[in-house]
Amino acid sequence: MSRKLMLPVAALAAFALAVGACGGDGGGGTAEGDGEITIFSLWGGSEQEAFQKVLDQFTKDTGIETKYESARDFLPVIRTRLAADNPPDVAIIPRPGVVAELARDDALISVEDLGLDPEAINENYSDTWTSLATVDDTLYGVVAKANSKSTIWYKPKSFTENGFEIPTDWNALLEITQQYKEKGMNPWAVGAQGRDNSWTLTDWFENIYARTAGTEKYTQLFNGDLAFNDQTVKDALREMLKIVNDRYVAGGIDTALGIGFVDGIGRVFSKNPVAEMYMEGGFVGGIALGEVNPDLKVGEDIDFFPWPQINTEHGNPLVGGGDVASAFVNNEDNAKLIEYLASPEAGRIWVSTGAIASPNQGVTDDAYPNPLVTKEAQQLKEAETFLFDGSDLLPGTLGQDMGTLLQNVIKNPGQMNSLLDDYQAQAEEAFAAG
Amino acid sequence: MSSTAVPGSVGRPRGRRLPSRFKRDKWQALLFLGPAVVLLVGLVVYPVVYTIVYSFGNTNSRLEVTRWVGFDNYERLFTRDKEFLNLDVFPPSGAFINNLKWVVLYTSISLALGLLIAILAARVRYESMVKAIIFIPMAISATAVAIIWKFVYDPDPNVGSLNAFISNFGLDPVAWYGRADVVNYALIFAYVWASTGFATVVISAALKGISEEVIEAARTDGASEWDIFRRIQLPLLSLPVSVVTVWLLINVIKVFDIIYVMTGGGPGGASEVIAFSMVDETFTNGEGGYGAAIAVVMLALIIPIMAFNIRRFRSERVVG
Amino acid sequence: MATAEVTVAQPRATPAERIVKFITRSPVHLALIAISVIWLVPTVGLAVTSFRPRAEIQSSSWWSSLTDWSFTLHNYELVLDNARMGSSFVSSLIITIPSTLLPLAFGAMAAYAFSWVRFPFRDTIFLIIVALMVVPIQMALVPLLRLFRDLGIADWYVGIWLAHTAFGLPLAIFLLRNFFITLPRDLIEAAKVDGASHFRIFLKVVVPLSVPALASFGIFQFLWVWNDLLMALIFVQNSDLWPMTIRINQMQSTYGIEWHLLSAGAFLLMIVPLIVFFALQRYFVQGLLAGSVK
Repeated sequence: MSRKLMLPVAALAAFALAVGACGGDGGGGTAEGDGEITIFSLWGGSEQEAFQKVLDQFTKDTGIETKYESARDFLPVIRTRLAADNPPDVAIIPRPGVVAELARDDALISVEDLGLDPEAINENYSDTWTSLATVDDTLYGVVAKANSKSTIWYKPKSFTENGFEIPTDWNALLEITQQYKEKGMNPWAVGAQGRDNSWTLTDWFENIYARTAGTEKYTQLFNGDLAFNDQTVKDALREMLKIVNDRYVAGGIDTALGIGFVDGIGRVFSKNPVAEMYMEGGFVGGIALGEVNPDLKVGEDIDFFPWPQINTEHGNPLVGGGDVASAFVNNEDNAKLIEYLASPEAGRIWVSTGAIASPNQGVTDDAYPNPLVTKEAQQLKEAETFLFDGSDLLPGTLGQDMGTLLQNVIKNPGQMNSLLDDYQAQAEEAFAAG
Repeated sequence: MSSTAVPGSVGRPRGRRLPSRFKRDKWQALLFLGPAVVLLVGLVVYPVVYTIVYSFGNTNSRLEVTRWVGFDNYERLFTRDKEFLNLDVFPPSGAFINNLKWVVLYTSISLALGLLIAILAARVRYESMVKAIIFIPMAISATAVAIIWKFVYDPDPNVGSLNAFISNFGLDPVAWYGRADVVNYALIFAYVWASTGFATVVISAALKGISEEVIEAARTDGASEWDIFRRIQLPLLSLPVSVVTVWLLINVIKVFDIIYVMTGGGPGGASEVIAFSMVDETFTNGEGGYGAAIAVVMLALIIPIMAFNIRRFRSERVVG
Repeated sequence: MATAEVTVAQPRATPAERIVKFITRSPVHLALIAISVIWLVPTVGLAVTSFRPRAEIQSSSWWSSLTDWSFTLHNYELVLDNARMGSSFVSSLIITIPSTLLPLAFGAMAAYAFSWVRFPFRDTIFLIIVALMVVPIQMALVPLLRLFRDLGIADWYVGIWLAHTAFGLPLAIFLLRNFFITLPRDLIEAAKVDGASHFRIFLKVVVPLSVPALASFGIFQFLWVWNDLLMALIFVQNSDLWPMTIRINQMQSTYGIEWHLLSAGAFLLMIVPLIVFFALQRYFVQGLLAGSVK
């Protein structure tokens, strides 16, 4: 510890400061890109691999390199990077609520400002989808992928063996549930553990609410125009509790709250299944086949049927989700990427991996690699009414908090009223602030 | 060396140094202090001031202040934020209350265990090995502690050691970190595991300072082990105990990593603590001003502990 | 009293007496052994798991594998390459080393000033710096983000080096100053008389004599930074540069807990602190004791 050490240390410090100061900059104005785009989202695993293929093709076509980054804590990372003027070039944002928030704070670059033509971008998308990427009448990005959440996964072989038919209404589904139980099997598995998996419960609730209270009330509820402790909410929750309870869920509510959603899928479709049906979106197929049990035979061991109606006057709305790709930095490279992601070509590559269904009307059915995804895409295209995943529309962390709310409700159904009152208070603050 | 009064030498520095040396001292002092002071003022003091000011505002999602709201953030924190402090239910809940649970349980259990182990270990020959085993968790990161204990607490008895253990007694597996009523205790105990080593080592060092002869003499005089503990060892432990307690209390206010990694504040915010709330509100909710208010509350809670420590430091012999 | 010193040999305890002693002591032994086992189980369990094949982890308990003996290094391969723990290890090093050396150097210099240089308000300033030891990092997260942005250094390691250095300085100054003032005054005075500047005295006299204290702080700071999560979370923005603590947390993927990866990752995270601890235990404990207010 002497002069010998101090000199290199000082040199290192000086060097570092010099190099660091030449690091990336924040950007402004439609500048020329630097030949590399950082893309940020929260996907990992098979979803990431699928998306990487799209990016690779983009690089082949344009020569622009891409770098994909992901983080489990999407929002905190975006915020810290924004605060430090170091945002990713493009991000794929899972919630339209967040898109709106960021757009209003001038964090996103509108499609027009990027030098692109909003009409051209929107050519292949129906209004429902473009509205997700539109904030205050300005288009901020493109809907990169879509999924249906109104699917219930089951084992066709099991249904045939037990003489069940695909239920078209709620009572039939409850009937099947009960009969499975009477035969000594667990009808359902649920994986809703912690912060990261509570959204599965919101999907349950949204599907039920849309079918019991109707499209209009659904929109009002998630816009903040209807209180969360309204009677319609309580009724929907009561329906939900008819299935999501200790009796019909494998391992009871404690297990449901203790395992993640992939584990939940595993409970039904792995090599040692303990349950028969699983409710979640179209992506379950990809995960089940890709990660849980590659030996599953589509049509025999795994398939899905659409959510049954509950209240016939409200029909069968499709609840689904989508991610919006948006640019944070204004340069030509990013503009090209946004344009590319809106193209049918990108959609085709992406869906060929079987990971997603694309809302892009330019993507034809034959691009889909397996009947499951094709079926989901059809469901998306044919939906009469489409409702975006409600919890993703809520501002701030209200969506996350809704998952928490539902976790508490299924754990303590008796406290439903006070839990809803508390949540409504939170909602009021969040909608007022947003 | 006695000095006879030499006229003219009063007021000059001792020795035969010239005044200019003294001035050069000051320059050199500046040089020596310079880097440290610049960094401290710029990166510690300035942020403290900034955060305090910031806490009186509301921010947008880019953490820029959009309007000034006076004490509203603080008011909201203590009266309108049910996740932080909920006095409407009994027992009260919220992040603030969770910290109180930590204060009581984490501090007392770590101290008690540390004391117990220090005393017991002193009586065996393999004392240093025991102390090392207890101390090792202090070297690893809180992140690693969280993962180690998440594994222990796993709800599947084939994976989680604790559930495997209790299933031997015919009990059903418990979701230790999945249940709101149990999660805090699970976290606290994991952190106790990681912190007891400190208490043990400090107390053990202090106990060694008590001369063996005194204890032997007491034993020969017929004093029981308990008497020895109460009359001789305990009174001399007040200093180390206070050192450990201060350290533990500061840990309680700052505890973040283990909660972030093991539960993310869940289930449903049940395991949130103040330090976690600050990060959550600022970076997940985008409420920078509100988060700043929480940070100020953290500081306000630590200051009394710090003041106590400084007073103790001043009055005690300097520990080298 | 003046008597001839007679050393009375203590009779060796008879076997019977020894057994009695052991039995009365045995609750102590039992308690200590039980406690030690409880203390070791969590870490050992995870360490053993990190060597087990993925499928087995879910189906059988880790202690049963001690008898089955089917171990593998595959998890480590996966974690080092696919999960990029290898590059995170390097990142952790890159973050930790300067964050240890800088506060050591600047802190030692400042501590010297507080010990051997006279200047006004010396003790007050010292006390203020000591008080800064307890400022929580939360107070600095947003302001420093802003500052680093304004300085243009937000996207590399410089930010976190500066942050760790600044927050490590109070402890360094406290610890080192307390040590420096115990050095023999005569040595310093003698050097001064010889006309040495403070700088020379610092380098040639004080520093060489202070290696234990410097080592104590150095090791303590090294582990502190290596194990840090929160600062890295906020100040290391580029995911390529993430240290191990962040990377491991990311491995708790959105897909559920993959213990085969997490256990290997956790173990890698623990290796360096454990080695440092075992090799330099004495210094670490000293650092901890002296700085027991951080």
